[in-house]
Amino acid sequence: MKTPRLGRLVLLLVGLFSMAFSCGTSAAEKKGRIGVSLLTLANPFFRDLGDAIKEEAAKHGMEVSIVSGDFDAARQRNQVADFIVQRCAAIVLSPCDSKAVSTALAEANKAGIPVFTVDIAALGAGKVVSHVATDNLGGGRLAAQAMIEALGGKGKVAILDHPEVESVLLRTQGFEEELAKQRQEKGVTIQVVAKLPGGGVKDKSFKAAEDLLQAQTDLAGIFAINDPSALGAVAALEKAGRLGKVKVIGFDGMPEGKAAIRAGQIYADPIQFPDRIGRTAVQQIKKYLDGDDVPAQVLIPTALYRQADAQKDASLPR
Amino acid sequence: MRSGLPTWLRDYGMVLVLGALCLYYSFATFTDQQPVGEAAGSAVARRILGDGGTPSVLVIAGTTDEDRAFAGAAVSALTAGGANVVERVLGAPRDARVVLDRLAGEGRRLAYVATTAACVEWTLLKDLNTRFPSLGNPRILIPESRRWPVFLTRQNLLNVANQITVVAILAVGMTVVIITGGIDLSVGSLIALSAVVVSVLIRDAGGGVQAGAAAMVMASLAALGMCIVVGLFSGLMVTAFKVPPFIATLAVMQVASGLAFIIAKGGSIYELPDTFTWLGRGADLFGVPNAVILMLVLYVMTHLLMSRTVLGRWIYAVGDNAEAARLAGVHTAFVLLFAYAFCGAMAGLGGVLQASQLKSGAPTYGVMYELYAIAAVVVGGTSLAGGEGRVFGTLIGAFIIAVIQNGMNLTGVESYRQKVVLGVVILGAVLLDLLKKKDWRRLFRAAATPATHP
Repeated sequence: MKTPRLGRLVLLLVGLFSMAFSCGTSAAEKKGRIGVSLLTLANPFFRDLGDAIKEEAAKHGMEVSIVSGDFDAARQRNQVADFIVQRCAAIVLSPCDSKAVSTALAEANKAGIPVFTVDIAALGAGKVVSHVATDNLGGGRLAAQAMIEALGGKGKVAILDHPEVESVLLRTQGFEEELAKQRQEKGVTIQVVAKLPGGGVKDKSFKAAEDLLQAQTDLAGIFAINDPSALGAVAALEKAGRLGKVKVIGFDGMPEGKAAIRAGQIYADPIQFPDRIGRTAVQQIKKYLDGDDVPAQVLIPTALYRQADAQKDASLPR
Repeated sequence: MRSGLPTWLRDYGMVLVLGALCLYYSFATFTDQQPVGEAAGSAVARRILGDGGTPSVLVIAGTTDEDRAFAGAAVSALTAGGANVVERVLGAPRDARVVLDRLAGEGRRLAYVATTAACVEWTLLKDLNTRFPSLGNPRILIPESRRWPVFLTRQNLLNVANQITVVAILAVGMTVVIITGGIDLSVGSLIALSAVVVSVLIRDAGGGVQAGAAAMVMASLAALGMCIVVGLFSGLMVTAFKVPPFIATLAVMQVASGLAFIIAKGGSIYELPDTFTWLGRGADLFGVPNAVILMLVLYVMTHLLMSRTVLGRWIYAVGDNAEAARLAGVHTAFVLLFAYAFCGAMAGLGGVLQASQLKSGAPTYGVMYELYAIAAVVVGGTSLAGGEGRVFGTLIGAFIIAVIQNGMNLTGVESYRQKVVLGVVILGAVLLDLLKKKDWRRLFRAAATPATHP
């Protein structure tokens, strides 16, 4: 009675462990390793960013460990602690919380490991060698140019905002600055009549856009600060039967947003280039390890993506 | 009656699983470890001096205390041994580059570069001889390495213990509630609420970054007290209104999370003094982190409560059969109220600890932590049906989860697979525990012929 049970126990143990460990790779390595903890890997933006880091690092003969912070600052701090134990040559972070990341930064600084941030900057204490991100201010300007182009320079527009996030503040700032500039220089008469919080998510933006359409019956355009917000606005316009009459400008260039651009639902997006952000971050690490001067911030410009671009885009499903 | 080792194994069989995991990750992370600090510096100097002559040496190290000790020891040993130390560089690759450029410009020649294992990873040093041919191909020497598992380094083991503290403290409270036959889903949200409340109190009432120790203690006690009240509320719903614990604490979870967002106004609160990190990041006793000591003290106290007091026996009795316990004269309502208040208190402490570790409070903390805590309890051998379980079993369960997570990070398993593995291991550990406790043959037979089963 006792022996077979013990045997089965051992079998189960062996099965369990082989399952758990078959996917681990050996930690014994000679190459320099870059530890990467991104905000999330559920978002294609960060997946592309991570893939680009891996590719570029391979070119320079470095290894990469990528983990997801899952929006959890405590989890990310633990991941940084593990990178420190592994004595990584460099750490790349997109902070889950711009302020709470300071303790993780302090620990990496104390261990003498250089930290680079991508997409999201760290605020507060702690030393970051270089920050690589999208030029959100310039992107906001591009969005304004697209709006002027779409409306022929006149009409009332609204902004679906999400002012809790630093990068979004820059987008709306760039948008309004460019409009103001063009009003003075080129006689554009577009007026921003409302700024509503859309939370950067589809459902909340949908409700905000519905309220907006009730209040502004002669609205000509909506600038949504990211693709989910833009898609929320599109849904509200569809429901109100005003799709096409009100032009939507989004931001990001996520696959779903690009598909909406191809369908003519969104007029245009300033798109971001996560792959360029990732590659540039690794190039900054290489520069640092070479002893070159590293700029404290590198901004990657956005580009306007219109229906014509979407029709040529092979990455979109037909 | 069984006694001695078999009984111990029945109660704490998961220790074997934990041991096996540690063993595996020790093998998997077996790698070259570089000695650091003073000893490493003298060792490199000895090797250089062993070659004889009066070589010219450049010493390069980074910015940490260990680097400084390395360079200091190397320079003094080299000078004493008659070598010519050209320069000592402490800093980033950029600083080393400036010195190398200058030396190459002056036409100096070097016999050796003495540096650390971390700095030799700099591409600057890897390509030294192609970049600076005029230096005369100096040999780059680093301290000799020894083979040792990364997992078993002191720093990493402390990491594992430190990383699990918050979940382990939640889990000890959860153990008590689960032994009563209940469950508390609100603890994750209470982490957020407690962290936010303690941060807001320190910022607004305690003087912000200038807050003193007394103010911080008061704020922590206030946050703790509030979580006890929330726990009592859950207990009241369960006892007075007979709301099922799952539903009562699910509602409280929503309320607590919402309150945390309202109090924090959606953002994170970071205007806290540096000294606030004493609890979460300090290590005053033999280098053991204060958070780990707090965790161990709580486990010992709870173990004594559950095994040596009348209240502890009542808690087991209520979980085993509430009606029988009531008839035997146990104040079941009091026992349940205590269990939920205790669980709330542990969550409150966990929240203060989390805020201290991250030096900020945010309503986004603690998401899913209730599930990690429940997993630790169940992996630790406590039955979800109530009435049985061991406090230290939960600690083992928490460590199993922490070791798996840490080990997978060290061996470079990517995030998605980590989740799958963690889920499978939790399930496997629980199955293993069942296998030990129950006669599986009878179970299988019963499953095969359900109709004949009475």
